[in-house]
Amino acid sequence: MAKQPVAVVGTGQTRFRSHHADKNYVELAQDAAKLALDDAGMVPDEIDAIVFSMSPTHFMGVNDVERWSIEHVWGVNKPFMRVHTGGATGGSAIQAGYFHVASGMYDTVLVVGADRVAETPDSQHVLNLIWDRFYEHDFALNTVTMTALAAQRYMHKYGTTEEQFAKVVVRGRKNALKNETAHLKGSITVDDVMNSPRVSYPFKRFDICPRSSGGAAVVLTNKDVAKEKCSRPAFMTGVSSITHSVFMGDRQGYWADTDFADQDGYDRAAQECYRQAGIIDPVREVDVLELYDPFSTFQFPALESLGFCGRGEATAINEDNGWEIDGGIVAVNPSGGTLCTNPIGVTGLVRAIDAAKQIMGRAGDMQVKNAKKAIATAIGGSTQFFTVSAFSDDYVS
Amino acid sequence: MDVYVIGMDVHDPSDRVADKRLEEMVFDTARGALDDAGVSRDEIDHVTIAACDELDGRSISSMLLATPAGAYLKDELKCTDSGLTGFCLAAMRAGSGVFHLGLVSSWNKSSVAPVEEVMNSRCEPFFTRPIGLNMSITDGLFAQTVADIYGIDEDDVNRAVMEGYRRAHKNPRGMQRQVPPAHEISNSPHLAYPLRKSHQAPITDGAVSMVLASGEWVAEHPNCRPLARIAGMGWRTEGYSLGRDRLGALTGFRDTFEDALGMAGLLDADELDVIELDSQTGYHELAFKSALGVEGLDAVSPSGGVFAQNPYFCTGMTNAAEAILQVNGLAGPTQVQGAHIAAAHQSHGFAQQGHVAVIFEGV
Repeated sequence: MAKQPVAVVGTGQTRFRSHHADKNYVELAQDAAKLALDDAGMVPDEIDAIVFSMSPTHFMGVNDVERWSIEHVWGVNKPFMRVHTGGATGGSAIQAGYFHVASGMYDTVLVVGADRVAETPDSQHVLNLIWDRFYEHDFALNTVTMTALAAQRYMHKYGTTEEQFAKVVVRGRKNALKNETAHLKGSITVDDVMNSPRVSYPFKRFDICPRSSGGAAVVLTNKDVAKEKCSRPAFMTGVSSITHSVFMGDRQGYWADTDFADQDGYDRAAQECYRQAGIIDPVREVDVLELYDPFSTFQFPALESLGFCGRGEATAINEDNGWEIDGGIVAVNPSGGTLCTNPIGVTGLVRAIDAAKQIMGRAGDMQVKNAKKAIATAIGGSTQFFTVSAFSDDYVS
Repeated sequence: MDVYVIGMDVHDPSDRVADKRLEEMVFDTARGALDDAGVSRDEIDHVTIAACDELDGRSISSMLLATPAGAYLKDELKCTDSGLTGFCLAAMRAGSGVFHLGLVSSWNKSSVAPVEEVMNSRCEPFFTRPIGLNMSITDGLFAQTVADIYGIDEDDVNRAVMEGYRRAHKNPRGMQRQVPPAHEISNSPHLAYPLRKSHQAPITDGAVSMVLASGEWVAEHPNCRPLARIAGMGWRTEGYSLGRDRLGALTGFRDTFEDALGMAGLLDADELDVIELDSQTGYHELAFKSALGVEGLDAVSPSGGVFAQNPYFCTGMTNAAEAILQVNGLAGPTQVQGAHIAAAHQSHGFAQQGHVAVIFEGV
């Protein structure tokens, strides 16, 4: 149990889109920081330390870009560190911020970041560079083709079809209509998804997230400051970030400890997070899930590994509208999720913000009634870094 | 926060580790730290990594390196500022009450990294990158500024460099390079006026891992003999611009030490028995000593500091290892007699933009 309970008292997100022609990178980070500070009712001097959320800087073209951002997020001469775990970065960054406060080292921490993924002509070319230069660069391995392999394995194991995955996209775009910061949103059909151009089997274009640009920030603080600053803070009650092997081939078959198709770090991360948060039965206790789902195939194995249903059952539950906001087992991605918005360096932070806002009652049109417990996730690397964070209307005493 | 270092391993320094891949260096060091602590990988509940993609030559380098760093199916976070920043994150995790036994690793194989090109690409693309700023040039700007503000002349710098090599030559854990003759130092070519090539410490390959345990864990394991208690920590990062105030005031450096000293219950740096500074050039060493008010203290970088080994990015971790040896009386020929409390420092970013200090206390 944390020595100091940790709470979210302010959040901020810019609008996300492919390009922000009127802002550069550091201005996007600044906008997010300002929004979060305003939401918390704080000024920069009340921030003791800063954690910067940024994944590979190759997307936007300045190495260690957080150093350029320091003045713009009011970080000059403050304790400052950058966290980076690929796609899971935002999830890891808020957890790093959590440890600043939970340890008693600092009272109030700003976690902030931004990304401009569309600065590069092809982010998948950059993402090819995450692989081994001798063996893996040349056969076009990137995050789309990597994930396509896992999706095919999931389809083989559980019989899920492309049309069934397409329904996840339809639900996500519909939910995003109520999210003013979402990048992609709209009423689309399964046929629209199925008829979009093929990218890598089973993915069509609409099965894949956009390349988003924008910033995100949260203010974390201890329970005493939270009581003073916020009538309904979102307490972070559980944090876990499990790392798996980069080698996908080692994560399937007889000798493997786990199965790559099942997003095989989530179960351990969830168990640890639930243990800390005192969650015994997530189906009964969790009201909102903000899942990291940059592909249509991510939600089903995630829901199964997080304990919301048995292996291979998530697809059928989706057919019965079981993951809808109203009337479902749990409200999954009221924000539209990563399928609608993916600014990679802060995507995990956006998931956490959207979960925390539900607890704080500040989710606007996306608000789930009586939300008291929410879970946010993120994934990075070769689907190998898994973060799970729990938010609650009360802390664990 | 009550956190202890219970085991550590430092990879043998080398200008170029040619017989191992980086993964092997990281694995060997992490394995060595666990063995030194007498704990198994199964027992640790978290791993913290400090590494730089650009210097590792691979986007999201922890994809490959997390497993050799001991993180397979473990709770793992990575920070990218410096090795000693990662150490501070690891300490906060071990001291949070959530986790109790962790492994922290940092590394650099700069022999295969184009360091100056990496640094040039840290510049924003509009103004500073086109004019070619890199590490040497920004260190030259720093040297000009501190020479003016602190009255440092080139003879002082040349002597500081020679003294650094002298101390480093005695350190069996360092490169033990020959001490260069005075004329070699004073006549080496300018990199960026007034900085000469000889004023810079050579960059080496290296890796460091440490095992950290909470006070609760130590209390529950009476057979464990901690190497040191973490008495204080501080880290600050200054702005990106390179104006005179930013370069010369050393505000971030002073405040970093003030934070760490305050946490340790100390008032001044001269209460420390040993300070291992990350002074990438002779100008840095003299400016840092002046800012701390320890010009007269003998025990500043007794290991030889960066002139002993300098695995850039993880140099603060080698400083931490030297400080821990000092408070255990195990530093051998570089031992400062009676050392009980010692500080390790790391500088990072252009012209010491960021600083980290950790104070270790003998147990």
